[in-house]
Amino acid sequence: MRKTLLFFCLGLPPLLANPLLTYENRPLGAPDAPLVMSTYLPDPGLNPAVFSHHHNSAPAPKYNPSKGEDVPGEEKPIPAVVAGLAVSFGPSLAYVFDTTECRPFYAWQGGFLDFTPYWGDQKRGSRVSFDYIPRLVGNLFHKAAGKNPVHIDGKSVDDLGGLEYVGYSLLKGVPRFEYKAGGHLVTVMIQPSEKELSFDAEVTCDPPAPIAWKEGDFSAEGNGKLSFTYTGKALGNYQGYKLKVDLRKANKEAGETLYNSYGCIACHSTDGSKGHGPSLGGLADEKVELEGSDKPVVADREYLLESIKTPNAKIVKGYPPNYMPPFGLPDVEYDSLILYIQSLSKPE
Amino acid sequence: MKPFTSSSIRVNSRPFAVKCFSALLLSAAIAPAVDFDDCYKVEDIKLPEGAPPEVGGMDFASDDTLFVVLRRGDVIKAKPSGNAGNFQWELFATGFHNGCGIDVVTPSKVRITQMADMTEVEDTDGDGKADRFMRFASGWGLSGNYHETNTLTKDGKGGYYISVGTASHAGPTFEHVLGDYSAAGRRGRNYASVKWKGWILHADNKGKVTPFASGFRMANGIYQDPDGNLWAGDNQGDWKAITPLYHVEQGNFYGHPSSLVWDSAWKGKDPLATYRNDLDAYNKHRTKAAVEMPNKEINRSAGEPYELPRDGSFGPFAGQLVVPDNNGERISRVMLEKVNGKFQGAVTQFIQNHGLRSGNHRIRFSHDGKQMYVGQTVRGWGSPAEGLQRITWKGGVPFDIETFKITKKGFKVTFTKDLPDELKEKKAWDFSSFTVQPKWTYGSDQENEREHDVKALKVTDKRSVEIELEDFSAGKIYKLELPKKLKSADDESPLQNRLAFYTANELPK
Repeated sequence: MRKTLLFFCLGLPPLLANPLLTYENRPLGAPDAPLVMSTYLPDPGLNPAVFSHHHNSAPAPKYNPSKGEDVPGEEKPIPAVVAGLAVSFGPSLAYVFDTTECRPFYAWQGGFLDFTPYWGDQKRGSRVSFDYIPRLVGNLFHKAAGKNPVHIDGKSVDDLGGLEYVGYSLLKGVPRFEYKAGGHLVTVMIQPSEKELSFDAEVTCDPPAPIAWKEGDFSAEGNGKLSFTYTGKALGNYQGYKLKVDLRKANKEAGETLYNSYGCIACHSTDGSKGHGPSLGGLADEKVELEGSDKPVVADREYLLESIKTPNAKIVKGYPPNYMPPFGLPDVEYDSLILYIQSLSKPE
Repeated sequence: MKPFTSSSIRVNSRPFAVKCFSALLLSAAIAPAVDFDDCYKVEDIKLPEGAPPEVGGMDFASDDTLFVVLRRGDVIKAKPSGNAGNFQWELFATGFHNGCGIDVVTPSKVRITQMADMTEVEDTDGDGKADRFMRFASGWGLSGNYHETNTLTKDGKGGYYISVGTASHAGPTFEHVLGDYSAAGRRGRNYASVKWKGWILHADNKGKVTPFASGFRMANGIYQDPDGNLWAGDNQGDWKAITPLYHVEQGNFYGHPSSLVWDSAWKGKDPLATYRNDLDAYNKHRTKAAVEMPNKEINRSAGEPYELPRDGSFGPFAGQLVVPDNNGERISRVMLEKVNGKFQGAVTQFIQNHGLRSGNHRIRFSHDGKQMYVGQTVRGWGSPAEGLQRITWKGGVPFDIETFKITKKGFKVTFTKDLPDELKEKKAWDFSSFTVQPKWTYGSDQENEREHDVKALKVTDKRSVEIELEDFSAGKIYKLELPKKLKSADDESPLQNRLAFYTANELPK
């Protein structure tokens, strides 16, 4: 069941009859109330050919915002799905319908998505930098391959021209997607199956025509309307978001991972450039001017620790107070962050 | 300013009305001093327990139902209650991707701008929950970056203006993006690697999208006023020296070069590199802000501009624009005027603190115009400051700058109450000026800072002063800093704001 919080307070009746998305980063739908989410989505190794209506990005020159210039190095694009809708029926079925390719991209069972990288931690309020892709939870059993599996009059809708996403309706809560292709309005509805590693699908086209679903070895046919059960095979088990960091003892590599995962980078650069907060580049052991004080302080270990633990104790000149949240972290994480900050050289 | 009449008492509950009426009778006799909290009440509106109160956008239906889209995806609705803790919220729809703009078309149909498109959401079977989610407008790309949020304002003809945010260098692009990709647009601090990032688009009443104006970094809030003027703020950053408020007109470029990769006139060129190396050409091309809001003193990150009700239902400053600060516990107040046919003007605060949270970025008024609803979110940037608050005008007028207008030789400043004697003296008027040059850096320092002596001062009526300044010229931002502890002469009310800034793009001809 989709996580429901108790809305009882002081004996009053519940505020809401329906569950809301909460701080729970692993929401789930239910068979009678599927959850449909428009979101960035992970790419579990899809064949690039299925992105035929997308455009390719490319590695970009690394940009140094403190110099305003490109510097040696590349920013590599990351694999993910940019405009998909994820549907959860609870543990029985989850799948992604891509609105650009107008087809299901993949399906899995046993869970849905872990939004931790995107929604962040309630206590810290930040997303994970350079990430924010929710992670799959469960067992993948279907991945799109080749052209769009819906064929009308013997041709994949990819080849009919005019492929265009229209929207979806909820029929007793279950989403039925609609798109246009070659003068037809096509609908696709996918639901949990009683069989393992399977989903039930119903596809229609209007005006009616011979219609088929062909993907890999699988094939089903009908006229104007097509119902079938797709059975896949175990393609991988996914367990949500896990921070990969070695914290057996404080180290600067862990500090860098934490710097990214706590979203520090959104405000603090490492190259001397200004942002919402002061840059960390070359900060360690330098003098820092503070608001409301004529006396600069030295950014020693003690200062850095205080600035992460209780950010409002000292405010750097020119920056707002009460902006950075206090981070309640284990000591080994503070120490790792400090080691990382101390490793950052002064910008040229 | 509309006087405090019996009609404005009538809406209040009886005990309050009686209290106010007594106060009114009393005021005729001794005119007590009025502070901000005597005139306005700030309340926290309780959102559903357990739901992250990240308000992406909000709007009222014709039947007064308030719809709120939360950034994790839920759309909730409730009839406003007099008790801010007792809104009966219901879930209307869910699953939107960072929905930051919402228009309630009818009580059962809303349109929401989310990352990839604008979706029309309708409850077709009347059960109170949406069951149809149709794409209404699209055509902008999506690179996969977290920063590419969108918002809307109505165009008054059934269509919309949609503001499309740029991506941030603090996040990647995806391998497969939505729409065309531009390598030149991928460069720089905040970038426009896919279509219409950094643009304001127009969507007609059928959802057909056309580009309207370029050069925005992150116009998190656009607003068309009742006269049809379109306003947009932006966030200090690269190519935004301080926090600007723009009067947006079709075809203009408002200063952030990355968006220009999608302007056909720049095909094959690199606008970022071009303007980085030629600020003169850049300055000729760009349209300046109508009002610059110094980020430290006034507004760090402009939310949705909104006009205070013209009929005075929300009290003083009727018809002036307010601009919420997404990074401060404040909402700024803008005093606009047209000089040589172009908008420019001054800015001070409407509210600073008094229980207001940070994260302010959306504003709507209750239908009676007496209550300002303020939507807040900052998730991802600094301390979470999320939620919904409401400011109610209780009656009365604080002592503040009412208008701040430019003359050929200086300014005319009018207050809401009678001038204290101190303000009739030249030495009380501390004017200085500076300029700012937007460029590739994150924000720009103030340049050409200087003081301006008061050459002449004329009290033109008991609330207004005309000031003539030494070396007064266009192209500067003038700062006025008034003395501390000023009180109005008539009722000894404390002055609310000592700081105001006038952006003098033009001097009257």
